Amino acid sequence: MAFIQAVIDGLLIGGVYAVISIGLTLVYGVMGIINFAQAEFLMIGMLVAWFAWAFLGLDPVLAAPLSFTVAFVIGWFVQGQLISRVLKAPSVAQIFLTVGLLIVIENSALLAFGSQFRSVTTWYQTISLSLGPLFVSVPYLIAFAMSLACGVALWWFMRTSWFGRAMRATAQNPGAAQLMGIDSALMYRIAFALGVGLTAFGGAVIMPYVTVYPGVGGQYVVLMFTVVVLGGLGSVAGAVAGGLAVGVIQALSALVFPIQLQNLVLFVVFILVLAVRPQGLVGASR
Amino acid sequence: MKRWIAFAIVVVVACLLPLALDPRGYWIRVLTFTLLFAAMAQAWNIIGGLANQTSLGHAAFFGIGAYTSTILLLKFGLSPWIGMVAGGVFGGVAAFIIAIPTMRLQGHYFALATLAFGEVMRVIANVWVSLTGGPGGTSIPFSPPSFANYSFKLLLPHTYIAIAALVITTLIFEWIQRGAMGYRLRAIKENPSAAEVIGIDTTRVKLQAAVISGALMAMLGTLYVQVAVFFDPDTVFSAAGISIRVALVAILGGIGTAIGPILGAFFIIPLEELMNEWFSSSAAGLSQLIFGLILIVVILWRPHGFVTVFRSLRAKFTGGTAR
Amino acid sequence: MSILEVHGVSRRFGGLQALSDVSFSVPQGQIVGLIGPNGAGKTTFFSTLVGLIRPDKGSIRLDGESVVGLKPHKVAHRGMTKTFQNVALFGESSVLDNVLTAGLLRHDVDAAREEALKCLDRVGLRAIAHQQAGLLSFPERARVELARALCTGPKVLLLDEVMAALNPVEMQEVMDLIRSLRDDGITLLVVEHHMRAIMTICDRVLVLNFGKLLADGTPQQVANDPQVVEAYLGKSMEKRA
Repeated sequence: MAFIQAVIDGLLIGGVYAVISIGLTLVYGVMGIINFAQAEFLMIGMLVAWFAWAFLGLDPVLAAPLSFTVAFVIGWFVQGQLISRVLKAPSVAQIFLTVGLLIVIENSALLAFGSQFRSVTTWYQTISLSLGPLFVSVPYLIAFAMSLACGVALWWFMRTSWFGRAMRATAQNPGAAQLMGIDSALMYRIAFALGVGLTAFGGAVIMPYVTVYPGVGGQYVVLMFTVVVLGGLGSVAGAVAGGLAVGVIQALSALVFPIQLQNLVLFVVFILVLAVRPQGLVGASR
Repeated sequence: MKRWIAFAIVVVVACLLPLALDPRGYWIRVLTFTLLFAAMAQAWNIIGGLANQTSLGHAAFFGIGAYTSTILLLKFGLSPWIGMVAGGVFGGVAAFIIAIPTMRLQGHYFALATLAFGEVMRVIANVWVSLTGGPGGTSIPFSPPSFANYSFKLLLPHTYIAIAALVITTLIFEWIQRGAMGYRLRAIKENPSAAEVIGIDTTRVKLQAAVISGALMAMLGTLYVQVAVFFDPDTVFSAAGISIRVALVAILGGIGTAIGPILGAFFIIPLEELMNEWFSSSAAGLSQLIFGLILIVVILWRPHGFVTVFRSLRAKFTGGTAR
Repeated sequence: MSILEVHGVSRRFGGLQALSDVSFSVPQGQIVGLIGPNGAGKTTFFSTLVGLIRPDKGSIRLDGESVVGLKPHKVAHRGMTKTFQNVALFGESSVLDNVLTAGLLRHDVDAAREEALKCLDRVGLRAIAHQQAGLLSFPERARVELARALCTGPKVLLLDEVMAALNPVEMQEVMDLIRSLRDDGITLLVVEHHMRAIMTICDRVLVLNFGKLLADGTPQQVANDPQVVEAYLGKSMEKRA
């Protein structure tokens, strides 16, 4: 029974992991860059939600679109001013530009808001629904539902809108897309802004059960990479599967290992997947 | 020949410099750490610069060196000198083990895998309390001052050891770069298939580079903690504090060049110290923020590091062409 | 005694049978031309011989010993290497360093440098030894590539279109070079689109079509083989149309 309970918790948490990691895989899929600062946008999303809750009295889950918007705007600027300059640079320059961004965002937050931990209180925070012997935590459920809605919205956007199709075309063949009149620089901006926006959205919806502080991104960096590598870097569908898988792996390993070793299991899975199947377990479809 | 004379002059000046500083002061400490970071960046440069494999996990080897010598000293009373050699062996073995699955990976993938490896080591060191003392940290125990015990009353001997370490790692780097292995690594970096077809065992050469780099890094870990005296798993296995910083020093200075790590270290480490000194009490995060901004500016402005500034200056004066 | 014996080599990529049941053997000191329409599998075949691609079936014996399943550097060590069709130099290194690196297979750095200079002499590029390889013209790069392959000290050398984009004078030089290499005892397999060159220098010609060996004989025999004429010329007619 504990096993089934862990799988349920894992899937619910994993849904959120999927949404926060989609941005990472989207950016890689479209322009071949891994954004080491991606988790910092999670922190931004969490902070925006916290402020919306503290000053506007807004439930963090309802503040998620606001988090998305703020991160989208920052992402738009970052892509246009910084990332666009290293698209053709050696990978070491790309890696360290985003590492620099990570340092800047984290320490800007530290400077502006201090190092204290911030959390929200909501009426549903501690409620669980019981299904016979099993429990479903309401904040997990809400976060999962929001993530699901967000994922469906993204899927719809990518499938049906002109921008979505243009972006997929750019990912497959930037040169050809350009010839068809698609502005690839604009596509990159949209992809990056959308990617960090989704991550921030995920940050807002988890606020009912986590706390935010400037270094919180560091807790999610390897986790997010594990999600996207499991699913195949660049594959959005893969990130969803990877997110759910990571959630379940975490929940199950918590049954067997002490809490400190939970991340270790994740790291080892991560290195093994990279070593054995760098294209991901799910497949290489973009 | 001219290069060697220049090199000798630099070494002599470097040896005189510490004498000009207050032996009990703050700056000699900064100088010592700067030299050690330059040496570490040079060790990183073997795999990161020559083999073009951007490692973000060198803290793993650094921490192995730090803990090996300290545990040997605590549990068996062995001198840190012996511990340094043992740490080098363990560091090389660890580099070998991690290189086998990750060597085929390139660019971002290699960076990710090594980053995760460093984190694995950090978690293990935190959890394996009976061996490492766990998150509470470890102090280097006091031994009677002597060279054999690697214990000194003043910081000055540590500074000279750091100079020697930097000279030795730089010579090893140069030796590799100019020798057969350097040619092979450059070939692999530029075209791995062509390198194989003309007879280069690409797997083996990359493994060799990884092992040398990891072993040197571990030995430098031993030297570092003799100066730091107290450390815990989160500092010696730190991704940001060691892995990324070491790579950064090499990249800012000029990746793949012997002078790059030295330029980078003498720029960034004292600057960081100064900023910490000025800002840490008034505004937490400001010094790191500036650090991050400098990194972004340098990458955008001089993607091949400061060394290119010197080259273009030299070209301006000699009328040659800049590279 | 054959220096190179290939028997029943096949290789499939997904739905494409890139090589099927290729067999032939080459005595030492021959120049063998390998021709066929685009996509016939010539480059795949060379890559298979040197170990970049593993055959699904078949045996490859170099100087009596099997080299199937060996990594390319081992095959190079046994004495077989190739040049790359689209030229795969170490572009940021100098011409000399490119060739020197290959010399390290059998020499230390100093001896490799001597050997590399000899090889550059042979291809007539000694004068530009210190130029950066990536900045050369295509015909020059192809010759650096030839010198580099030569510097590994091969018994069997596979040349993949080293004469592409050469003018008639340069082509004559390379043809003379290939002959002189043969006179030194090196066995050469040459992929070339330029038919006149193939017909002039080759002792023997193999024709590959859709991964199958279509013909094997002297240049005259092959040129008069109706099957070859149809496959080869028919194909190029079609393309022209």
